[in-house]
Amino acid sequence: MIKARQKPMKDIARMVAPFSRILVLGCNTCTGICLAGGEKEVAILASTLRMQKKELGEFVVKRQCEKEFVEEARDLIQSHDVVLSLACGVGMNFVSEMFPEKPVLPGNDTMFLGLPKELGVFAERCVACGDCIIHLTGGLCPIARCAKHLFNGPCGGSSQGRCEISPDVPCIWQLIYERLARLGQLASLEELIPVRDWKSNDALGPRSFVREDLQVKET
Amino acid sequence: MEPVSRLQKVLEAGHFAVTSEVGPPKGTDPGVVTRKGIRLKDYCDAINVTDNQTAIVRLSSLAGCAVLRQVGVETVMQIVCRDRNRIAIQSDVLGAIALGIRNFLCLSGDHQKFGNHPTAKNVFDLDSVQLIAALKKMRDEKKFICGEDISGEVPIYIGAAENPYADPFEFRAVRLAKKVKAGAQFIQTQAIYDIAKFARFMEMVRERGLDKEAHILAGIIPIRSAGMARYMQTSVPGVHVPQEIVDRMKAATTAKEEGIKIALEAIEQVRQIPGVRGIHIMAVGWEEEAVPALVEKAGLYPRPG
Amino acid sequence: MMNPMVQPPCQNACPIHQDARGYLAAIATGDFNRAAQIVLETNPLPFICATICSHPCEEKCRRGQPDKPLSIRAVKRVAMEQGTPAPVPAPTPSHSEKVAVIGSGPAGLTAGHDLARLGYRVTIFEREAMPGGAMAHFVPIYRLPREMVAKDIEAIQALGVDIRTKKALGRDMTLAQLKRRGFKAVLLSLGLPLSRKLRIPGEEGEGVLLALPFLRAVNLEGYRLPPGKRVIVIGGGNVAIDAARTALRAGAKTVLMVCLESAQEIPASPWEIAEAREEGIEISCSWGPKQIVRHDGKVAVMECMAVKSVFDEKGRFNPSFHEDRCTQMEGDIIILAIGQAADIAELPELGIPLDERGRLGFDPQTMATGKQGVFACGEVILGPGSAVRAMASGRRAALAVDAYLRSEKFTFQEPSALGTLAPEVVEDIKRIERQPVPLLEAAQRVTSFEEVDLGYDPQVGAREARRCLNCGNGAELLEEKCIACLTCVRVCPYGVPVVRAAGKVDIRVDQCQACGICVSECPAGAISFRMPGVLDIPQRIGAAMASGKRELVFFCAYDTISLQGADTSGMIPVPCLGKIDVRHLLRAVELGAERVVLVGCADPDCPYQRTLRWAQCRVDTANRLLQAAGLGEGRVKLLQLAPQEFARLPELLSASAKEAR
Repeated sequence: MIKARQKPMKDIARMVAPFSRILVLGCNTCTGICLAGGEKEVAILASTLRMQKKELGEFVVKRQCEKEFVEEARDLIQSHDVVLSLACGVGMNFVSEMFPEKPVLPGNDTMFLGLPKELGVFAERCVACGDCIIHLTGGLCPIARCAKHLFNGPCGGSSQGRCEISPDVPCIWQLIYERLARLGQLASLEELIPVRDWKSNDALGPRSFVREDLQVKET
Repeated sequence: MEPVSRLQKVLEAGHFAVTSEVGPPKGTDPGVVTRKGIRLKDYCDAINVTDNQTAIVRLSSLAGCAVLRQVGVETVMQIVCRDRNRIAIQSDVLGAIALGIRNFLCLSGDHQKFGNHPTAKNVFDLDSVQLIAALKKMRDEKKFICGEDISGEVPIYIGAAENPYADPFEFRAVRLAKKVKAGAQFIQTQAIYDIAKFARFMEMVRERGLDKEAHILAGIIPIRSAGMARYMQTSVPGVHVPQEIVDRMKAATTAKEEGIKIALEAIEQVRQIPGVRGIHIMAVGWEEEAVPALVEKAGLYPRPG
Repeated sequence: MMNPMVQPPCQNACPIHQDARGYLAAIATGDFNRAAQIVLETNPLPFICATICSHPCEEKCRRGQPDKPLSIRAVKRVAMEQGTPAPVPAPTPSHSEKVAVIGSGPAGLTAGHDLARLGYRVTIFEREAMPGGAMAHFVPIYRLPREMVAKDIEAIQALGVDIRTKKALGRDMTLAQLKRRGFKAVLLSLGLPLSRKLRIPGEEGEGVLLALPFLRAVNLEGYRLPPGKRVIVIGGGNVAIDAARTALRAGAKTVLMVCLESAQEIPASPWEIAEAREEGIEISCSWGPKQIVRHDGKVAVMECMAVKSVFDEKGRFNPSFHEDRCTQMEGDIIILAIGQAADIAELPELGIPLDERGRLGFDPQTMATGKQGVFACGEVILGPGSAVRAMASGRRAALAVDAYLRSEKFTFQEPSALGTLAPEVVEDIKRIERQPVPLLEAAQRVTSFEEVDLGYDPQVGAREARRCLNCGNGAELLEEKCIACLTCVRVCPYGVPVVRAAGKVDIRVDQCQACGICVSECPAGAISFRMPGVLDIPQRIGAAMASGKRELVFFCAYDTISLQGADTSGMIPVPCLGKIDVRHLLRAVELGAERVVLVGCADPDCPYQRTLRWAQCRVDTANRLLQAAGLGEGRVKLLQLAPQEFARLPELLSASAKEAR
């Protein structure tokens, strides 16, 4: 899911400094699950801000990216000067769109699409490039997990299964190679993966897509 | 097809080729490049100009090759995928050809973390294999990647790099095959110290018949000090320096002599390996001293006309 | 939500369903008054039970899975000795009916107590001179000092229950007379006051005693055996052991117990057998008495046959013997302890019918006998058993009588127990040795009637109580708030939360060890907690800070007894520091605390896994947040003390505060 992390307290303190009535608004989906935006994190942040003499409201909606859920917080949002959002960037943008006259401050930095390897340890797995090729690479994504997002890796810097940028980073092409070997699909590595059309990524600007099967024509 | 460059001619005529490289300055003075070029030109069949190597901003490979052309040096332009997208790369290739550059080495490029602008956004619109294929398409079909026609001639000799020691080892020859299939005609390897492992690599290469399809030049880095040996061992991506070499450099009375000696041993041994068609000397920091010495001592001087 | 009819195994195994978990928790946290209070909620004979209960709770205690069961009885005794429960005012009778209870053993006393609480005026008629039934007459005084019996009986009398001694049904009054005097229901709790005879050759005559009259004579009349006698006790039950150990103290030279049962079958309690053996009593199993041989009319030898089997294929008592294998046992006195019988032969004359086998006619559903308005409970209908089982029977009969008098249908549902602990949970439970109950030295025991059980010191009792796993009293998932983040699954040291089909998380209430870590780590406030003293921590912080203190101290309630009276006013006890959350720490600072200190044990002393490491992590997190907010450094501290340091807590706290400055 989306993984986010709370901004450093001093940055938050600086952002909220001009405001007095702050609503700390959490989200119970992605940021709730990665322990960055649930009821507990909202309470802890609110407590710390109250100690800095701020007037606080606290609330958590199920998802900050969906109108029907954000609606539940309407009154609270209206009655505060600013929303300090502990959602991901999507939720923060959405609340701003839904309440154009309310400043929204980011309490979290949205880090990546990823997973928890263990409690509190998160790693990126996908960059939402819009054109998934993991069937060619043994189920592991080189665009997300190769430092140079090579399509025909590894590069010459791969050593003992580690990426040249750090011994803590596995070379994903090494892992792809091993997995394809295990799956008996090594031959696919001899095929050139051609130049990527980045329009499915952001080559054409901010992305959107429409599902025809969910569009009913109104006559 | 007629050879389009001197390097191609030398290799296709069956000579044991010698190339080397110069690193351009972190500044604007072309003289640094031309001085080295003039000194080395009789000892090499072609000279590479590196492209922001190790992600450190330097005078560009295109400009470096251009000024070397002006003093009659055969050049190899290096293109890394890290800093430019397909638009810029194809544009630079057109410009390079217009400036008389014929040989192009396609590389991924060291990660920007190693350089002096580690926070820059990297590009990698293409990877090195896709770049090779793109150059081949430009030359053989006279088309850009997008399929539009290119006006004028596209005389290019396409090269790629390979690191025989990178992992997974058993895959390196496959990767080389991929590059050759995409259009690589000459290969310059990373520095060879562990001869036995390189010999095993070349065996895998020969098994696939790649030595027939592309000309492989073994990389030679003469080391000029124990400090340089240690630095390469620990801090340069893609370079594998065995401890034994570092120890020899440490123990040596005159480091530079030992460095030349080690390099000569390597040259002698790689010449014995079938499929090795030349050497690529990367005498980092002492090109003007080391390259002529090595080429002479290895009995490779003078170069064929 | 867990069904309240599903109890922890200890409570369920207890015939009167005592909240052992509750009073153990109170004792572990040094609150003996509350512990005694909890005992009294369901136990009208607390001192007796604390001394001699056969503790079926301990047999089912799930602590037995990782190591040894809790020593519940002995810990309960600490509570009764140390605690002062709030006095219970005598209930004012709310019904006009009077109820007569015949017999003042544990069944009758409990029934009388319960009926009084239900609003009836109760008179217990006891035919002997002393109330208490078997507990007053037959149970040896080295097991049950009579002061204990007196305490419990006085408490029942204080409720308004009238106990009339030397009044026997039949001899002194009839049912008709009772009815005329306003007793609308009669409850027979007659017990089993008669010793059975063997009816073997040589049994009649001097030197052969019956166990119950023998015990009564020694206990109440100072009877002693002539010196130098070799005593043989026939029987393998607890009464036989009582007779054997009493005989030893009453002057026997040697005591030998002989029973039909094999060593595996012997029905006496294992601890009784162990204590008897320590005292030098020999137990000879698998022998059946054939005849008693007398020389000059005096008992000389008992001949026995080897037992082939005691029970038949249907499990009925039906001993068979190897008649050709015999042995001779020399002895001077033989005590028959082969079973107890009811004294009911005269009941039919009173209109109370017996069945075709001479047993009291009885409906187990309604507790009614064949005579309208006459009920029965206890051993007289159940057969021989423990005091606490008889008490449960009395309790049930009281409800049956109440239903009868109120013309309501009598229904009685027995609760069920939690299942066993899963092996993966058992694996992670910290092993802690059970505190052995101190007993008088065997050498000292045999020469006097001094009480054998020395009991735990309060500190030892509290420490033993801490081993309780708090079965069913831990975390509880609020499903509608759960966001399935899997944090509880990942932080639980015992593997209690599991993921079920369709991604539902199940925090297994019956497996939870009540460490509390997940409650604090859940990001969605979706975990509640059943143990008291946890969910109210925020309110208690508010209350503690209301007085404007600058330093707030939380201490682990399980260390209360180690405090030994050190002044902890204004401090907040919590059942293990693992239940303190970052939010609690920050709240204290918000409410004005300059310093927050958590005081607890060192890791090895804490019965939970990992809680202290979490406590440290939360202290560090709170300090990081406070520092980043420009509110100072190191304002929250975790102090881990060795057991002997707790008594000096105030001193250690001010030293720590000084160091911080």
